[in-house]
Amino acid sequence: MASRRTHLALLGTVSLVGVLGIAACGGSDDSSSTNTGSDTTATDGGGGDVLAASDTGFSTGSPKAGGTYRIATPDLGFTGGFDPSAEYLGWAWGLQQQLLNRGLVGYRHIGGTAGTEPMPDLAESIPEPTEDGTVWTFKIKKGVKFSPPLNREVTTKDIVYAFERMATPSVGAQYPNYFTMIKGFKEMSDGKAKTISGIATPDDQTIVFTLTKATPDFPYRLAMPASAPIPPEVGKCHTKAGEYGRYQLGTGPYMIKGADKMNISSCDAQKPIPGFNPTDGITFVRNPNYDAATDSKEQREALPDVIDISVNTNEKDVFDKVQAGELEEAAGLSVPPEVARKYVGDDTLKDRFRSNPEDSTNYVTMNLAVAPFDDIHVRKALNYAVDKQAMQRAWGGKLYGDLTGHVIPPVLLDGDTSIDPYATENSAGDVEKAKEEMKQSAYDTNKDGICDAPQCKGIVYLNRNYGAYAKITPILTQNAAAIGLGLDVKELPTGPAYETLQTVKNQVPIATNARWGKDYPDATTFAVLFDGRNILPTGNTNYSLVGMTPEQAKKLGIAYPKTPIPSVDADIDKCNDTAGEDRIQCWKDFDTKLMTEVVPWVPYMNALHTNLLGPAVTKWEYDQDAGESALAHVAVDPSLQK
Amino acid sequence: MSTDSAPLLEVTDLRVHFPTADGVVKAVDGSTFTVRRGETLGVVGESGSGKSITFLTVMGLINRQSARISGSVRFEGREILDASADEMRGIRGARIGMIFQDPMTSLHPMHKVGDQIAEVVRTHTDKSKSEAHRMAVEALREVGIPSPETRARQYPHEFSGGMRQRAMIAMALVMKPSLLIADEPTTALDVTIQAQILELIDELKDQFNIGVVLVSHSLATIADVSENVMVMYAGRPAELGSRDEVFSDAQHPYTWGLLESVPRPDIRVERLVPIDGAPPSLITLPPGCAFGPRCPHARTECTAEVPELRDRGAGHADACILATEEKGRLRAARMKALGVTT
Amino acid sequence: MGRFIIRRLIWTVFIVLLVSVLTFLIFFVLPSGDPALRFAGKQPTAELIAQARANLGLDKSLPEQYWLFLKHLVTGDEYGWPGLGYSFHTRDAVLPELINRARVTGSIIIGGAALWMLIGVPVGVISALKRRTIWDRGLMGVCLFFVSAPVFWLALLSLLIFWKKLHWLPGTGYVAFAESPGQWFAHLILPWCVLALLYAAIYARIVRANMIDVVSEDYIRTAYAKGLSPRRVVMHHELKPALAPVVALFATDLGALVGGTIVTETVFNMQGLGNWLLIAANNNDLPVTMAVTIVVAAAVSLLTLVADVLLAAIDPRVRLQ
Repeated sequence: MASRRTHLALLGTVSLVGVLGIAACGGSDDSSSTNTGSDTTATDGGGGDVLAASDTGFSTGSPKAGGTYRIATPDLGFTGGFDPSAEYLGWAWGLQQQLLNRGLVGYRHIGGTAGTEPMPDLAESIPEPTEDGTVWTFKIKKGVKFSPPLNREVTTKDIVYAFERMATPSVGAQYPNYFTMIKGFKEMSDGKAKTISGIATPDDQTIVFTLTKATPDFPYRLAMPASAPIPPEVGKCHTKAGEYGRYQLGTGPYMIKGADKMNISSCDAQKPIPGFNPTDGITFVRNPNYDAATDSKEQREALPDVIDISVNTNEKDVFDKVQAGELEEAAGLSVPPEVARKYVGDDTLKDRFRSNPEDSTNYVTMNLAVAPFDDIHVRKALNYAVDKQAMQRAWGGKLYGDLTGHVIPPVLLDGDTSIDPYATENSAGDVEKAKEEMKQSAYDTNKDGICDAPQCKGIVYLNRNYGAYAKITPILTQNAAAIGLGLDVKELPTGPAYETLQTVKNQVPIATNARWGKDYPDATTFAVLFDGRNILPTGNTNYSLVGMTPEQAKKLGIAYPKTPIPSVDADIDKCNDTAGEDRIQCWKDFDTKLMTEVVPWVPYMNALHTNLLGPAVTKWEYDQDAGESALAHVAVDPSLQK
Repeated sequence: MSTDSAPLLEVTDLRVHFPTADGVVKAVDGSTFTVRRGETLGVVGESGSGKSITFLTVMGLINRQSARISGSVRFEGREILDASADEMRGIRGARIGMIFQDPMTSLHPMHKVGDQIAEVVRTHTDKSKSEAHRMAVEALREVGIPSPETRARQYPHEFSGGMRQRAMIAMALVMKPSLLIADEPTTALDVTIQAQILELIDELKDQFNIGVVLVSHSLATIADVSENVMVMYAGRPAELGSRDEVFSDAQHPYTWGLLESVPRPDIRVERLVPIDGAPPSLITLPPGCAFGPRCPHARTECTAEVPELRDRGAGHADACILATEEKGRLRAARMKALGVTT
Repeated sequence: MGRFIIRRLIWTVFIVLLVSVLTFLIFFVLPSGDPALRFAGKQPTAELIAQARANLGLDKSLPEQYWLFLKHLVTGDEYGWPGLGYSFHTRDAVLPELINRARVTGSIIIGGAALWMLIGVPVGVISALKRRTIWDRGLMGVCLFFVSAPVFWLALLSLLIFWKKLHWLPGTGYVAFAESPGQWFAHLILPWCVLALLYAAIYARIVRANMIDVVSEDYIRTAYAKGLSPRRVVMHHELKPALAPVVALFATDLGALVGGTIVTETVFNMQGLGNWLLIAANNNDLPVTMAVTIVVAAAVSLLTLVADVLLAAIDPRVRLQ
């Protein structure tokens, strides 16, 4: 499951599991993790067209260009109709960045930290900001053209238009909050201006962004697909939320099949591109205007002639077909445990099961404003008490997740996994240590390590009601009971569970229904969860209410606890202002402080993204940024296809 | 009335036994009677006395796999008890017509009345559709249904109860059979209609010179239209004779009971007396006379053996072991007790 | 009869309205989450949520929203008539997809229904005629099996056997008739069979019970007394009354299946209406939920009307009132 997808509140991912009764997650699995596959280097690849596989990639035989790469997914559950301005599904981002449209900044689209390093894509280079980090001037490459039927060269005005779309409320953009520091952006979205004053285009090749404050991670934000150029000729006809998805034209190596046949003479003449239909799937074919000379093989090899994504509602059928060579891959689905076990246990197959960090964290969130979690000792005690290994088993075992003891996923901290202040043997929990901690709490009146105040009983615990989530419920309930915390379980479907948790007034004391993944490969996308200034009455994602002030509590109509709630707002600002190595170190310190001085969560696992490669796949990479297959680097051997 | 000497239907010692998990049900256990052309045999008995089974057996409508059938049924001089299924189909509807208790349920609700009658013709002859239809209309006319052409095109639910039974009779007689078996033909009808139907059957009997079996649970029903009467009890005839004999000089205490429970114009009865008790189980019949347990005049000899049907002369037979004189005394005493004035 | 049909058509409109109101209310009353939230990104600011609500038309009052829905339904919208809006989930017009998916579901149901009638009725009749024989027991045993066998299991098993092992049939998915009638047929055989086996089993049991009831009717005794052959009795006297009630059942079942072949569609990977309803329900997709429930309600109501007319044609006692 795509990382972004899993923590979006209302995505329907229960359907097949529910209907078919096919358990999505099995029991424990002790087979060795395959984070880093064996890298078979392509020795005699097709005329230097093909790069060697990365550390996390896969390559076999002699990968060549050509063929059709076939993928099936149970539901094209795009959150914004695949409209780049609005789309928020990680998988869709991957398709747009790698196949359809080139933005100023891109990635290598490989696994590991090398895959999270911003690179110039449409831009000639990533500039250093000037004026104390508030002015960014980009030059774009010459000779990059939109696909047919447009056929014209891209100019910086097309990028301006993309930003203007995000500042147009009817378009329904879902992450303009990452660009509100551009001067004049808010004025336009509030309807007070017709353009964004902070974006200028001195000529067709130059674009200048003027920010209201220094934003060192600006290049990452520019890599998000909504900021890639959109031709106004077509885009202006489709300003209704999600509509442009079926009309989009881009500059990438592929286009949606049939895009070239679109009649763009007038808005009324435009009909949806036939190659994309939410019911049946989406087919990408080569964009004849794409010139590989303007791109780098490092970012896009674009080997298959066609990439075909079809909808298949039968999960078992999908994986049967992948194994049989009738499909190359599944998307939007986790590899079923029994299939994973079969592949991992077979030397000839194990390289075709891929497991990579999706840069997300699974956690128990505790509400700092509600007893007994308003006491840091209780929160620390629970960190000791939780059997993380059992929780990992609930998610399918080591193939599906790495254990963790802190908030930010390791890839975003340069691979650091050392932060673990509440380490226990085998991560199985330590009741004695937990009791030692509990003894220091006011809620343990007789100091025997068992929470015994009235507040320790009937604590509402919110969770989802299906799949691995439901398996977590008894584990946490039992672990909490060992230190006297009596949890009152409340299980809900995905949507209602999120809505309950995200409405501050509900004051949910403890929950495991939420997960979080990065938006772009920087720790700041996790820090927002603890920013006191982000607390909202509804749709709130600072579930622990870290940094809430008494004034905020009053405004929200909730009680402020006796113990003051710690704030990390200053730490977040400090890290956001730094860059490079210092920035990584700053986030590490921030994470350590969170886990030792604030303790809002019991983080227990960084989920792994699993992929199963069909027998005809000859080259494959993991895109660390999108948390999905890197279709820019895959290859297929048609002679092995069925 | 015609007096053909050869009987139309001659049933001798007919037994119909149904083996079941609980034992053998002796539905008919030694039935003997004859029916002649131009004559009506009235058959009377309580439900379960075997009267319906007897005539369904005659029709060959009892499943031979589920019943053990013995004895003899001669129809028009031929033994038909062992006739093949094909032969029986040729007889049913063509040579023997049968009508039933409830004309509402006995007619097919989804077929037109005329079609149902024509179907009989088409089954037994190779007459054309239109000829069959013409005959059906004619048959409806013969049973006194007004505007038969229109009626033939209607469905049973558009008919009144009496009309339906007339249509049933038309269907049974359309092939001009020699025997009509009417199984409780008036039970489901209004009292005013009952007499009309009985009259119609009687007229048709004379008109076509056919033999008629009129099955009823009530002596009153058959009294006016039967030449002969058979009273059945527990699968056997209790008394058999001409109508006048049976009505004026009944020999079996069961017949007495039936007579006493029926209002009759010639015998003024001040109160009607039902027969005490219930009919016996046909699986475990009482020893000896099956009516014994309900008979106010029973004595120990009655349980000794099953009484034979004995002819008392003039074709009047009964199955009671008591001496004729004693029965005369008992009968007289009963009449007196009831305050009957003759 | 004309007046009866007109009255029932008006009734159908009423039913559709009632179902749409109920669906609408259930959508908003049951706690299934705010559809706007998923269109407001991961860190939904109040403005973004408000904007998403406005985009989805959820900012208006409930009666106003329903009124707009009705207005579009009757007068059409930018995507044609009847106006069904666009999906919250796929951001695509509902109407064209409804038509596409109706073709898929229609193909499944019509073929399946034809098959189940062709199997179910003869099996029921044979069982009734051969009552208590080994034929009857055998057939009814098989029926009991198919009645109780989970459809998804049957579907998966049939795929395994006929596709994976024997390679007789192509795999899952739907091919439009216009594209290739042969492929359309080949892809639909298994779904038809799976659907037909369940219903054939149910219908066989019903037909058998009806037949046994009819066989003991007085008019069947009459038929035999008329000297008819057993064959003629069965064909001309027993079948019609035994099958008449099945017509009504058949129509209702067909209507219910319009939105009810969820499992068949999901397993055989056919993008039909049932599947769509499931996806819509899982995604708080109000316009799609409304569209499919309306179609199902209309289908059930209209097919019941057809059944009533048919029944009146078969059974003269039934009057259309």
